Amino acid sequence: MSQRKSYAVGTGLFIVLGFAALGYLATQTSSVANRHHGATYTVDAKFENIGQLKERAPVKIAGVRVGEVASIALAKGAPVADVKLAIDKRYADIPVDSVATVFTSGLLGDQYVGIEYGHARQYIADGGKLGLTRSSQPLEEMLGKFFGAGGGADAIGGSYDVTARFSNVGTLSAGSPVKMAGVAIGRVLSVQAEPGKLDALVTLAIDNRYNQIPDDSSAAVFTSGLIGSQYVAIQPGGSPDMLKNGDEMILTQSAMQLEDLIGKFLVNGSGSGDKKDSGSSATPAGKH
Amino acid sequence: MNARVDDNVVSRSLAQIGECGLFLLKVLAAIPRSGRYARETVRQLWFVGAMSLTIIMTCGLFVGMVLGLQLYHVLSIFGGTAATGTVVALSIYRELGPVVTALLFAGRAGTAVTAEIGLMRATDQIAAMELMAVDPLAYVAAPRFLAGLIAMPLLCCVFCALGIFGGHLVGVSWLGIDNGTFWSNMTDTVEVWQDIVNGVIWKSLAFGAVVALIAVFQGYTAPPTSEGVAYATTRTVVASSIAILALDFVLTAFLM
Repeated sequence: MSQRKSYAVGTGLFIVLGFAALGYLATQTSSVANRHHGATYTVDAKFENIGQLKERAPVKIAGVRVGEVASIALAKGAPVADVKLAIDKRYADIPVDSVATVFTSGLLGDQYVGIEYGHARQYIADGGKLGLTRSSQPLEEMLGKFFGAGGGADAIGGSYDVTARFSNVGTLSAGSPVKMAGVAIGRVLSVQAEPGKLDALVTLAIDNRYNQIPDDSSAAVFTSGLIGSQYVAIQPGGSPDMLKNGDEMILTQSAMQLEDLIGKFLVNGSGSGDKKDSGSSATPAGKH
Repeated sequence: MNARVDDNVVSRSLAQIGECGLFLLKVLAAIPRSGRYARETVRQLWFVGAMSLTIIMTCGLFVGMVLGLQLYHVLSIFGGTAATGTVVALSIYRELGPVVTALLFAGRAGTAVTAEIGLMRATDQIAAMELMAVDPLAYVAAPRFLAGLIAMPLLCCVFCALGIFGGHLVGVSWLGIDNGTFWSNMTDTVEVWQDIVNGVIWKSLAFGAVVALIAVFQGYTAPPTSEGVAYATTRTVVASSIAILALDFVLTAFLM
């Protein structure tokens, strides 16, 4: 009898443990953990561009999560995104002139809605509207202001070859796109080092359709996005003569290293190590 | 199997699969009749489930730890160590949890079931049951099949929980990923329905059914010799492993 009882108890323990593990997985490690079912109120915000914002993305004030994106839809009659934010009732004192912005956490992280407080004495009510919004700034656009623009490659018919010399081609390799005004117009045919001149000789195969490129155009090695692949961008010059097969482009600009560029903007380049947003705590007390 | 001897490998394995399918129908039909032997089912559940806990927990812990370690080093190349928790959780829930649990289950419990039933047949216990008007399908086969079906999802949940704990232990406690980052990235990505119900529960239920069926079938049809039992036990492990990995691909294609 005691033998039978012991295995019954063991089996019961096993089943309880199994279901406890299931409950733990489902509630603590999945998205259910984020969903707290407290009362919320809904606020409307319209954005011109929400980038990669998704439903259930967090809404943050001063970095603190106060709610989530309830729904995303295209507003009727206008090319703007209508985003409904479900904000926790505990945070009911958001001024009506607050600004909602679509932010990206980190360089490559997910996007979220950040709300910056305004100064009005009136608070936003359920179903109210955040009139002031700032749209997501795609990284590509921001970088595109510094560099050339990215874009898809194109099918290639016949092509003609021109060469260009660069002092540094970065990670450019044969097959990389050649772009003008962001449109792919050809491919890099070969990248060779020239021992005599201590630079890189790059041969570009440009589609025959694009044979109206002035021969004083300049070639530059750009990077698509932050960690994207590199390509050759051609910036047209003003000469009446056009590039022909076998020509060499004289004006070139070598690959810029992202590290160099950032170093030029940021003075405190020495890594502080801690990249997390520890803005809410003034002293890193818990780090010991 | 004992009806005729075929030399052709193809027709022999086809016959095995066919017999296995018919056996499945017989076991399913015997399940309602096994209700009166509920105690036997509980005893089998204790044997294949509770007794397998130790190996499942140990292996889950180590799988999670090695995942944390590997992912940390690879992700640090891209500056993405914050994603360690996400990737540990997703890979354990979707693939490693059900598959490794099923393989361990086949090795730990499936072989024991095969050997036990095979010896029952070799020592004429099953024939004795039939003489005593006890249906061996309802008393021997169905409880073990049911026990495997119930035990696998539970074992898999335990495995996954320990795996997450192992990944947390290595990633957060040893390698210094931020605790909040680890959990919040995980909870942002893991979906209950997609990953836990589809990944953990359905897959492990299917694997449990397959392993239990193969183990019971091989034992039940083993030649009543010590050599026959040895071969049947080996075949249980081999057939279960192949079936688990093949079924895993099919299930992943359907469920994901």
